Amino acid sequence: MNAPDPNAFSLDINDPEDAELIQYFLTELPDRVDTILAAFTNDDFRELERIAHQLKGAAPGFGFPSIGTEAAKLEQQLKLTSDPSESVETLRSQVDQLVSLCNSYINPS
Amino acid sequence: MSETQPNPYTETSPVVLLVDDSQFVHRLLEARLRSESIVLSSAEDGKAGLEIAQRDEPSLILLDLDMPVMDGFETLRELKEDPRTRDIPVIVLSGMNSSQDKVAAFDLGAIDFVTKPFELTELRARVRSSLRMSELLRMLAQKAHIDGLSGLYNRQYFDEKLSSEFNRTLRHGQSLSIAMIDIDHFKSVNDTYGHPAGDAVISGVANLIMRETRSIDIACRYGGEEFAIIMPETDPNQAQLMCERIRQGCEHLAWSRHPARNITISVGVAGTGNTDTVTITPEGWVEMADKNLYHAKQAGRNRVVTTGLDGTHISLAQAG
Repeated sequence: MNAPDPNAFSLDINDPEDAELIQYFLTELPDRVDTILAAFTNDDFRELERIAHQLKGAAPGFGFPSIGTEAAKLEQQLKLTSDPSESVETLRSQVDQLVSLCNSYINPS
Repeated sequence: MSETQPNPYTETSPVVLLVDDSQFVHRLLEARLRSESIVLSSAEDGKAGLEIAQRDEPSLILLDLDMPVMDGFETLRELKEDPRTRDIPVIVLSGMNSSQDKVAAFDLGAIDFVTKPFELTELRARVRSSLRMSELLRMLAQKAHIDGLSGLYNRQYFDEKLSSEFNRTLRHGQSLSIAMIDIDHFKSVNDTYGHPAGDAVISGVANLIMRETRSIDIACRYGGEEFAIIMPETDPNQAQLMCERIRQGCEHLAWSRHPARNITISVGVAGTGNTDTVTITPEGWVEMADKNLYHAKQAGRNRVVTTGLDGTHISLAQAG
């Protein structure tokens, strides 16, 4: 289980505009996590790559660069594997990494 | 969470269209470009983006490369092929910092390339810079369409607009009228009072035409002392009234260089109330208006002669 990166918020939570973006991202995140898990379960690797790609591009802008980094790793892995279904275990571990990180923001302990 | 305040729309706020399949990017840029005086419009795929671009002709397009169905390259290619959208600057957004993609995007006509995640200060500056460029291009294009002496559209613009308005009106079966206007005895004004006086007459009549026409009309200096007006959504009766108002207005203009000498105009109008059954070409239409102008001259000048496309004569009494 990854603890949230202490420098995770590259945005200023005290700035109203930044806070609005952080809040929006956190509201949307559970939905994306569900989509990631569903895509992985259904072997829908195209969808998985699409969500990973979007998170990679967007997360840093909302103040979550570590999610962006993990999503980039997942995207990279999907791109490198010609047949992702043959390396499900490697993928599973990367999906788990990303999902746990997201969950640690959604349900901070 | 505070409600998103839409940018107050004013005539001068340029519209920027964002085409991106990610809701996150829409939300992010909506917040981050709020301080710019722009109106952000949005599309979630290339096809919708094309449609909005063709309909609204935004001042700038921010286009994501990596989209499902129709990707950014294909969208960009289509934008650059359509005369309506060809000149709109496009900033390409990409999640990949790939030189190959950059080269391809610039070769397809992109004005700039920005990599995600965005560096926001930089993105804002790039948006501003592209908008400046787009405004300059717009001014330049407009200037190329304006006649220097009269301030009306020039002949070239008239020819362009004639066919596009003609086709558009035909498509919708609307009414359309065309007027040709000529200043009476203009040569004698030049000969008697000199060319500067002649120029003053041309710009005086042009000002009057500009004042008496509506924003939908396309008023041009057709050549020498001749003007032409394309009047969309206007049947020959309405056109007759409008041209009669211009004719009367001209009679009453005061001329500082020759206070004793009035200036009058002759006008020929050809129009129809319903373009559903039109078989004439745009050039034939102008010829018909020109023929009516000739009849106005023959009948003693300082008058408006109007006919429908079928040849029916429109008199002032009918028009009134």
